[in-house]
This record gives sequence, C-alpha cells and structure tokens, in this order.
Amino acid sequence: MAGPKDADEALTTLERELERGRSLFAAASDLDALEVAETAVLGRKSPFSAVQRLLGTLPEDDRKRVGRRTNEVREALRGAMAARRAELEVDRDRTILESDRVDVTLPGRRLRQGSLHPLTIVQDEVVDIFTRMGYQVVEGPEVETEWYNFDALNIAPDHPARTMMDTTFLGVPGHPELVLRTHTSPMQIRTMEAGQPPVYVVVPGRVFRNEEITAKNMPVFHQVEGLAVDEGITFADLKGTLETFYRALLGPEREVRLTPSFFPFVEPGAQVEVSCFVCGGEGCRTCGHTGWIESAGAGMVHPVVLENVGYDSERYTGFAFGMGHDRLAMIRFGIPDIRLLWESDVRFLEQFAGQG
Amino acid sequence: MRVVLSWLRELCPIELSAEELVPILDMKGLHVESIVRPWEGMAGVVVARVLEVRNHPNSDKLCLARVDAGGTQRELVVGVRNMKAGDLVPLAGPGARVPGLPEPLSARMIRGVESEGMLCSPRELGISPDHSGILVLADDVPVGSDFKAAFGLDDAVLDLEIEANRPDLLSMVGVAREVSAATGIPLGLPDTSVTEASDHAWDAATVEVLDPDKCPRYLARVIRGVAVGASPLRVQARLTASGMRPVSNIVDATNYAMLEMGQPMHPFDLELLDGRAIVVRRARPGERLVTLDDVERDLSEDDLVIADRSRAVGIAGVMGSADGEVSPSTRDVLLESAYFEPKGIMRTSRRLGLLTEASTRFSRGGDPEILEPAANRAARLMAEWGSGTVLAGAIDVGTAPERRRLSVRPARASLVLGYEVSAADIADALGRLGMQAEKADGEIRVEVPSFRPDLEREIDLIEEVVRVQGYDAVGSTVPGIMEAGGFAPGYLLRRRIRQVMVRAGFREALSLSFASASDLDLMGHEEAVRLANPPSADEPYLRTSLIPNLLRALARNAYRGVRGAALFEVGRVFRSGPPEGAPVDEREFVAAALTGPAGEEVHWERRELDFFDAKGGVGALMAGLGITEWAVGEPAQRPFHPARSAMVLVAGLPAGVVGEIHPGVASGLDLPRRVGAFELDVGILAPYAGRARPLRDIPRFPPVRRDLAFVVDEEVPAGAVADALREAGGDLVDAVVLFDVFTGSPLPAGKKNLAFSVDFRAPDRTLTDEEAEQAVAAIVARLRRDFGAEFRSG
Repeated sequence: MAGPKDADEALTTLERELERGRSLFAAASDLDALEVAETAVLGRKSPFSAVQRLLGTLPEDDRKRVGRRTNEVREALRGAMAARRAELEVDRDRTILESDRVDVTLPGRRLRQGSLHPLTIVQDEVVDIFTRMGYQVVEGPEVETEWYNFDALNIAPDHPARTMMDTTFLGVPGHPELVLRTHTSPMQIRTMEAGQPPVYVVVPGRVFRNEEITAKNMPVFHQVEGLAVDEGITFADLKGTLETFYRALLGPEREVRLTPSFFPFVEPGAQVEVSCFVCGGEGCRTCGHTGWIESAGAGMVHPVVLENVGYDSERYTGFAFGMGHDRLAMIRFGIPDIRLLWESDVRFLEQFAGQG
Repeated sequence: MRVVLSWLRELCPIELSAEELVPILDMKGLHVESIVRPWEGMAGVVVARVLEVRNHPNSDKLCLARVDAGGTQRELVVGVRNMKAGDLVPLAGPGARVPGLPEPLSARMIRGVESEGMLCSPRELGISPDHSGILVLADDVPVGSDFKAAFGLDDAVLDLEIEANRPDLLSMVGVAREVSAATGIPLGLPDTSVTEASDHAWDAATVEVLDPDKCPRYLARVIRGVAVGASPLRVQARLTASGMRPVSNIVDATNYAMLEMGQPMHPFDLELLDGRAIVVRRARPGERLVTLDDVERDLSEDDLVIADRSRAVGIAGVMGSADGEVSPSTRDVLLESAYFEPKGIMRTSRRLGLLTEASTRFSRGGDPEILEPAANRAARLMAEWGSGTVLAGAIDVGTAPERRRLSVRPARASLVLGYEVSAADIADALGRLGMQAEKADGEIRVEVPSFRPDLEREIDLIEEVVRVQGYDAVGSTVPGIMEAGGFAPGYLLRRRIRQVMVRAGFREALSLSFASASDLDLMGHEEAVRLANPPSADEPYLRTSLIPNLLRALARNAYRGVRGAALFEVGRVFRSGPPEGAPVDEREFVAAALTGPAGEEVHWERRELDFFDAKGGVGALMAGLGITEWAVGEPAQRPFHPARSAMVLVAGLPAGVVGEIHPGVASGLDLPRRVGAFELDVGILAPYAGRARPLRDIPRFPPVRRDLAFVVDEEVPAGAVADALREAGGDLVDAVVLFDVFTGSPLPAGKKNLAFSVDFRAPDRTLTDEEAEQAVAAIVARLRRDFGAEFRSG
C-alpha cells in the first residue's frame, strides 16, 4: 500500500487510521486479536508509521501541523487500545475463574463432630458459678466406708434415715463397711479432716441408690455438694448463697424458698425450692402446678458433724447443701425420660453439640 | 401420714380448706404430697329400706329386691342376698354415682329383669375393702336421706410426707399441734375419760416384763364383755381413708386411737392368754411364730416378744400372732399400750422385712408418757362401739424415761440464724409447741415433751424457733470468702480430657457403674468387686472397664440405624485391691469406641473407621494434654484384635490399650467387623499432662528438605525405622513425616517401601547441601545395618 505523499494526504491518513484503529480495537475479541490489531494500526508497516516516516520530509510549517496531529492520534489510539486491553484482561480472568466454579451447595469438608453429655454441661456450669463465688472444687471416692457415708454424718447404724437410703453394699470379704456412696456428703468429712476452717468447697460426683430403673429413677445419679465452715456462718448465708447461685444458673428473676426438712447432718435442715423456671412460678406440669421446683437439701452443719472431725463447734458454724443435677438437666433441656441420659443414643447426644 | 380433714378439725377447729392448708403445712416442714377426696365420685346415693327380697326368675344366684327410697319404690337385681325386708341399705338409683364405678348408673336389663340402679357394697362406696355383700346400715338414719351427707363423707384427705425424726407427726394430734402452732387456734385433745367398773384390771390379768431395757414401760387395761362386730360406718370410712383396713370394733378402736394419738396398741383375747398373763421377754433360740399375715417367722434372741405363760403371742411393737387374736367369739380384751426401745424394734422389723404401722412408729421413737391416755382412749371407744365394760385401773409396769432438759442461748440462736432472736421470741416459739419456757442466767430452759425424741440439744431448739417463726424470716447474705475459687487438679484434667475428645470428634456418653459376668469375661478381668446387693441381679459387679458399655452403646446405635458413631466416657472403674493395700482399687479411666463409615459424603474417602482412627484418638488426646512421651508397645489382650492392637505406654509405663476389637467379639455383640477402641488410665497420664515446657526459639534458618524412601521387610515396624532415622540423623533432623507406605508390584513379595520427607536444619546457620548429604548417608547406612533397608531415592 502506498503511503501519503504530502501533508494533506498525511492528515487524511491520520484521521482514517484513527477511525480504523478504534473500530479494530473494539472488534478485537481477545487479547491475541488485540495484539494483531495493534500491529495493524501502530506497527512498523502500518499507514500510521508511514505518516511518521513522512514527517521528516515535510516543510517546517507542515511538519508542525502534521506532527501535532500525529501525536494526538497516537495518544488516542494507545488510549483506546489500553482501555480495550483492560476490558479483555477482565474477560480473560473471568473465564479462568469460571472454569474453577464449584457447587457451593455441596457439603463442606468437615471433621467428625463431638459433643459433651448434657449432665457434664450442667455440672460444669454449676461448679463454674461456685468457683466464681470463691469455692474450691474437690472430688471424692465413689466407694466409701459406712463411717464417712453415715456415722460421721450423724447417721447412726439404727437411724431410720440410714435404712431409707437404699444403700448398695460391696461384697468384699472382710470389709462389710464398704458401700457405694449414697450422697456426696462424705466429702464434707474428708474435706474437714484434711484441714482447718475456713472451708469453702463444692463436690460434684456420681452417687448411688439401690433403686429400680424407671423413667424417673436410676440407681446412679449426680450431685453437687457444698460446704462452708467458718467463724460466723449463718443460716442467712446459706439462703443468700443459694439465691446467688440459682440466679446465676437459672436467671436473675428466680426466687429461692427454704422450708423445714430433715437430714441428720444438718440442723436446722431445709428443703430448697426454686421458683419454676419453665413457667416463671405461675404453675405448670413441670412444677406440679405449685410454682416451685424442689432442687436441693440444705442446712446448717450439725454440731455433731463438726465435733466428729475435731472442729470446735462453738467457734465455727457452717452450712451444707446437696443438689441433684440430673433433674435440673432434664428440665433445662426438656428431656422427658431419665433413661435417655444413659442410653448413649447418638441421635440424642448429637443435639448437645456446641454446648458446654 | 394421711390426714382426714374433718378429723383434724375435731382436734383443731380451723376453717381452712385442704388447699389453704398446703402452704401453711409446707412452711412448717409438713410437705403435702397430695390431696385426695375419696368420696368425690359419690352423688345421689340414698338410704333405702328393703321392702321385699325374692328370687330372680332366670337365675339361681341373683335375687330381686324392692326398696322404698323415701316415697319412690325401686326394683333392683342384686348379686348377694345378705339383706332382708326391713333392712336399711344404700341405693344408687339411675343417674347416681358411686366412687367404685366410672359411669353414672342407669336402669338396665339383667337376665330379663330391669334393675333400676344398684344396692351398694362397702367397697363400691369407698367405705372399706369389703365386697362380700350389700352394706346393711344401722337403723338410725332416715329413709330417703342422702348417704354422703348422712355419714359426713364430703371430706378431704391430705397425704403428708413425714420426716424420719418426727414420730409425733404420725398422729392426728401431732399434726393438729403443728396446725395450732401455725394458726394460733387452740388444740383440743380427744376425750380420754373412761367409765370404769368396780372390778380391777390387776385381778383379771398379770403383766411381767423380763427385759426392762427393751421395754421400759408396759401398760394394760382390761375390757370385759365386749360384743365383737363392725364399728360405726363413719369410723370405717375414716380408717379406710387413712389407709387402714377396718376389721372389727375392737381392732378398729385401737387403730383409731393410734391414728389419733400416735400410740400403737394391741388387743389380745384375754381368755386365749395362758394364765391370763402377759410376759414380755426375749425370743428363745429357735422360737417361731405365725404372725397375723400368716407367715411363719424365725425369731432371734435379739427380738422382743409378747408372750403368755406358754408361748409368744406377738412380736413386740411389730405384729401380733393368730394365737392371741381377737375374734368374733372374744368376750374379754387385754389392751396393750407399751413403750419399746426404738432401735430394737428397728432391727427386728428390718430383719424380718416387716414394716407395719406399729413398727414404723415405735422404731422412730414412741412417746412413753402417752401410754395411759392412749389406752384410755381406745378403751373408751371399745366400750362405746363394742358395749364392753372397762375394768378399774391399769396394770402399769415400769416407768417412762425422764424428760430431757435443754437450754437455748438467745445469742447463739441469733448467731446461727443470722438475725436477732430475743429470749421472748424463743419462749414464745417453744411455748406454741407445748414447751413451757423458763428464763435463767440469760438462757431459756425447757423440759422437752415426751413426744419429741428428736429434740436432743440446743441446736434442735434453735431449729424449732426458726421453724415456728418461719424460714421466710431468714435474710439473705453471703459469706465474705477471702480466697479465689479453683479446681482440684483431677477435675481440671478431666475437663481438659473431655474438651479434647469433643474436639477430636467423639461424643460423650455416660453409663452405669455396674458390670455383668459376661462383661468381665469379655475383658478377661478376674479381680472384679462383687456387690452384696446389686441394684440389678444381671450386673452384680462394679465395672472394671468402660469398654463393654461403650461397645454395647455402639451396637444399640447400629441397631437403631445410626450411621457410625464415635463415643467416649470418662469415669471410675473398680478392681479388687492387692492383698496388702486398699480393698478396692478405684481409678479413673478414659475410653473411646468407634465404628462405621469415616464419612459418607462427597469429598470423603469412603472407608470404615478402624485401628488408625482409634490410634488417632489417642494421639489427639495426648497432644491435647501436651503429652509427648507416649508410644505403642506389645499387642493388647482380650477383647482386642491380636494383630491390630497395642499397649499404650506413657514414659515407658503401661497406660492403657488401643486397637480394634477382635472380630469374633464384635460379631458376638452384633457389631460391624471393624470397631476401634482405646482405654487409658487417667491417673497414669496425670503427671505428664499439661506440663509447662521451656519455650524453644523459632528456627531462623531454612530447612533442607529431602524425600528418602527405603525398602524393608514387611514385618519391620515403621515406627522403629522412623526412630532409627531420627537417631542416625542426629541434631540436624528437624522433622520427619512418613508420607507413604507401599507394598506390591514392582516390589518383591514380603517387602514394603517407606517414604519419608525429612527436614534437616541447623539452629545457627543455613545448612549446606553437603551437610545434608552427610546426614542422609549416615541414615542410609544405619537403616541398612539395622533393618537391611535398601535406599531408593534421595
């Protein structure tokens, strides 16, 4: 193709190439095509290059006039091309990513899911509240002697309460004194024997009653024992402590009620009831339409118990409480049958994932 | 204790309803378990007079009765022909309701004759369990009157839970005393006045107590010329509502007085007593007795019996025998009212497994001063209901123990209760319970009534004070605890174990602490602790391992269609202790068991959980506890797979086992072929868990990474090769990863290829290739020497 021969022809060429370049760049469908177009419009053999080569041969004023336009056209073409390149690069990246596409609704890779048992969840909550209140969490043996389980706790061999405990005895020859503990209270004695007041402990653990398995009863269940012995501990301290605890566990609007009850190792003894946390005290099936849920046994440590461990029962007073948390867990999680806690059915256990 | 409301009102004239009483009793520690209205289901039953009884035309058994129901006549078909013309009977006409039937009565055809309702038996009316015939009423009620109103059956019964230390509350008077203390309405005691004949009881009978320790006081009255029959209907109804069976006017009189005053008594047929004598003595060796429930009892010398001159006629305080029993032919009654030592009664009652109204009361502690008033009450009722004559005086042997004297310091009461309690407060509270208080030396002194054996020391009276004042008088404070709370190390460790296991994908299970003989056999354990009285006969041992229960749980889950499961438990296990040590070795174990597909969804390699998942669990647990010094050792014993199991060692000590369950065992338990499990002794792990270690510098120089593959005999353990590799490489070996184990073509049979990726690194400089090559050469030489390993690549 013949190049321009004078200034006018050069200018015409520039305008034509500007048009042609813009349309070629726009028409380029990918980066390769754009490169071909670039060569065609701005390459050494292009009409535009021919105008550039002509410039040196033109008279001064023509050279100025055509040269200025040449620069403008070059900038315009380069601009158009860069813009198109940017567009095409976006297209190219999009294509590459598209080929990576996954179905985001497919399941994610997961590790096997674990979960804590609901009784563990509740027990941890209970002891955590007490540690925040300044108590030490201690534990004791599940096989106990009659001394720790009964006698030291003011439950004499012929005491009616002892026969009602449904005790399971071990059959170890030569050791008729061994029993499965019927409550966590033996740790009151063991803890006091191990040191001097002040004593502030809670004792979580498994306890045993020789009972048939039913929807409400198991021969094994769980308790948390509490014991505070110090100078000047009062019955009001017991009530305030239980209120603080139950409000932390079950909500600040909970009320706690103590009514007289009998346990040989406390005096005065109390049954502890919490305003129903299902109905808020209005009365419902869970609380037997009373508005109260029986939650613990408690009282002031009997002076005989303090004397049994060599404490000065005039100088020190104390309170103790024992709460079963199997029922608490059942109400809390709406578990209808206590046997579910012991069946290890994965369809039950998996519902506690993410808790505790 | 069942409390009949109308009866309670006779003793303490409250106007409160049963429901209104509940919170008042609750706050005094008398917890109401339920309120029952035994005759709620009775309506429209009327008193009718029998006009005529004749045969049923179509039945030999049935008969027809025409009755006058107060103006209207009705004809009824009746099953038992125990009434005759002129008798008064209860009639439930069409539309009437009786407690024993769910639906109102209607007229219906019975064998071709229409019966306009029915005549009722005592059982159908809830009066007594007697269903032998139609209830024939005494002739003192107007015909046509409403049966329920005529006999005061619009009543309620409160079932109270009575604490073991309050025998006084096993009586209407005791409950009424508490109601009186709570409401301020005065207590009225039952009428114990007796009209006496001129003959003396001590001329009619003798009483000898040979064991005054077990029977400190024995009192007898004699009632002569009784006519044994049914007691009044109202009495029968009250006894039935109180949970006792009406028997006869004489027996009912003692039971009625017992329910009222709390003193169990026993009537003997005086003529049946050899020598008209009562002898209270220990049972003789080998002595036997048939109690009233028709069971022959072997007695022991610890048991106290009531005897006559020749034989025992009752087990003292527990149950009488047929030999001295009151029968319809009885004319003279010896009424026993005694005080027995409580612990002896408890032992006898427990040994014989015989828990009666009497033994319950005596074993909790009777009232030695109530003997005479209670006997008077019963004698009065026998005279009234059985038209007997009460002989003068009572044969009263022994004495009541002295009353206890106690004192309360107001300052002590205030200190224990946490609020100010004055001397006047104490005197008032104790006074309400029938204790006369006197003030001396700033203390309140009282004589403890004989019916309160539970009041033994000052603290017991302090409880009475707060009980009378109400537990709601107590404020709310908390102790000022001067230490931070915390956990015993064992609790923290268990909590950590649980968290690690949950993170590793195991679900926590809990199981009972018992084991069956087959569980022990499964584990090959012999030193199990056997229980003397196991809750379930099938599981007479304490568990020695957590594994059997976990395996059964896996089997249950599989049976229920659960796709695989991974369970763990942390809990105590028990073995018989060594001869020289504690009799029971109680330890805490953590165990896990898993089976089923590793993951069934897309992306997952489809495989079954196996040994390596179990071992992975051990690894996760050890890592989570910061225990690095663990290894596997010899194969484990039963119930593990001999070729897919190992002992777990921590710092060289046996700490437990890991492996697959023996396929034979698994199939015996209906489990899949591959079941992984491990069990570790937490006590062995404890000293190594969670220890702080000095911080190491982070490497500043890059590693030289080499892939090294070796061919060794198949039976050479990879772990041993890796250990040797590390040792031979010395300090320069920083990390060793076994990334491939390969057998089969092109390798010759019996050979395997182990491929390791090894990082060599020096802490103080960038390692040169030459240094790394020297280390590799040392490794290659060592593995060739130790295992005949052929080096494949570098």
